[in-house]
Amino acid sequence: MSLDRLIGKQNSDGGWPHVRGKSWTEPTVYAVLALWTAGEKQAAERGLAWLRATQRADGGWGPQPGIDESNWTTGLVALLPPEAIGPKIHAEAIAWLMGTTGHETSFEYRLREWLLGTPKRRELEFAGWPWIPGAAAWVGPTSVAVLALEKEYARRPLAGIRERIDDGRRFLLARACEDGGWNHGSVGALGYASKAYPETTGMALAALRGVRAPQIDPALTIARQFLSDCRSADAQNWLRLGLSAHGALPPQYCLPPGISFRTVPEASLELLLADAHTGKGVFWC
Amino acid sequence: MLNMTRREWLAAVGAGAGAAALTGCTQRVQFTPSSVSIVRAPHYDQSLYDTVRRIVQDHGLDVRGKRVVLKPNLVEFEPESTINTHPMLVHAAYEAFRAAGAASVAIAEGPGHRRNTLDMADAAGYFDTVGGFEDLFTDLNLDDVTHVRPQRQFSRLGKLYLPNTVLGADLLVSMPKLKTHHWTGATLSMKNLFGVVPGGVYGWPKNVLHWAGLHECIADLHALFPRQFAIVDGIVGMEGNGPIQGTPKKAGVLIAGADPVAVDATCCRVMQIDPFQIGYLRLASGKPDAHLMERNIRQLGEAISTVATPFELPPDFPNLRLRPLEMGGVA
Repeated sequence: MSLDRLIGKQNSDGGWPHVRGKSWTEPTVYAVLALWTAGEKQAAERGLAWLRATQRADGGWGPQPGIDESNWTTGLVALLPPEAIGPKIHAEAIAWLMGTTGHETSFEYRLREWLLGTPKRRELEFAGWPWIPGAAAWVGPTSVAVLALEKEYARRPLAGIRERIDDGRRFLLARACEDGGWNHGSVGALGYASKAYPETTGMALAALRGVRAPQIDPALTIARQFLSDCRSADAQNWLRLGLSAHGALPPQYCLPPGISFRTVPEASLELLLADAHTGKGVFWC
Repeated sequence: MLNMTRREWLAAVGAGAGAAALTGCTQRVQFTPSSVSIVRAPHYDQSLYDTVRRIVQDHGLDVRGKRVVLKPNLVEFEPESTINTHPMLVHAAYEAFRAAGAASVAIAEGPGHRRNTLDMADAAGYFDTVGGFEDLFTDLNLDDVTHVRPQRQFSRLGKLYLPNTVLGADLLVSMPKLKTHHWTGATLSMKNLFGVVPGGVYGWPKNVLHWAGLHECIADLHALFPRQFAIVDGIVGMEGNGPIQGTPKKAGVLIAGADPVAVDATCCRVMQIDPFQIGYLRLASGKPDAHLMERNIRQLGEAISTVATPFELPPDFPNLRLRPLEMGGVA
């Protein structure tokens, strides 16, 4: 999808749909990131205005206007440059992220587990981020939140932000699957090991940029395997980003034939990664 | 008491409260039997088109001028496995409802774990099998939504947003695989409705449903869609540690009907699973469970006993097996 086509998909309210229909926060952020980075400031500014108008009173964003709860897409908004979305609004997005954790690390849940005598599980020790408040933390929203907070930390090196980033990364490391990658965040069920997915493996690797841990090398190995095998646009995007974060994208990489970028987030991310295959400036500083 | 663990103590308190609540549930109810078809379908081949057309005719479904939405079950990128509803069955249903005069027949699904739904449908063979698939298909995870309230609330869900595509359907056709399930015992036409809950609102997985009570949420969703039909893909199902890591199980049948509770109870009997042990079936059938009894289901086509085949049970459900007395049709 070209920049012109992306602009053509913009709704009259300034936001973008996933494929068609009403505007959603997620595709709007991705489209704005792609257009802002490409210097298409006019269309990007209309998208930014939509985002400013749809911010909720708690400082976060819901997936779509009319859904009365902020969710993980607030982490995506926090990836936008403060000078683009506005410093105050950006600070509120960061504050929302800082105040949100998965339900399994809440006091209430831990008390319940203690009462039930449930043995402690390592993967439940660290605070990640949920898709929606009140539910458990998962790999996707945790990866996005870590990326956003890492960018923020480069601007404002506060101990509290560092702590959440580190805990989020421990969460990810603890959720690595036996095969080396990541799925949605379940390492196994009823004694059976779960398999990794390409797209979440790429996301987790991007969020673990700069981390040295025994989990990284096996993750890079399976990510390269996924990159050569899988034909999903979303997966190709995130694998490129995740491998680039570790300087491990094969130098001869080119997009496999037959990949369809069907959604606005897929097309926008592809535009962001098409030239340099790197997330520098967008996903990290 | 002193030798009990905290878990045992809490379980004992819960069981006592449950028994107290159930006291006196012996009233007789008037009951209209539901019809359920069991049709032999040994292979995924061209004969499916005739078979599904006959099912639609046998149930007297009048879909003329109606909006029909087919809801298959797409779970994983494994085209060679038995995880996903076979695309040929969905295409056969598409053709059958078109031939029956439906104004529109859409295909819609919102997978629970993977976000790239269209890619997954592509890998599962839907693009190759169903002409113009992309135009017919709605990703329910990303569809526009409306806030709804279940007519009968079983779960702790405070509020629920559902996709407009399924809310606007005159007939929602649930098309699951015949599978065991490691959390619920069996996943059939009712559990398949988890796929209408939008991941765009609730995430991947739709974890909110688990927190609010798995069986209860299934019963809530069932109550929200009174105009349903179910066609269960039991040609090759899945046994053991389903719905993802189980092993293929050939049953060679399609099981269909307009009452999902009766359809799922029949599916259970075909799998030699006791439907009375499936929590969401008991919730949706009402207190006397009359709905689940075999004598209260009008069986069309094959008799259960001629097609029943024991599915290996999920690891945590050793007590699901239908006992010989119930296999004989007494229950």
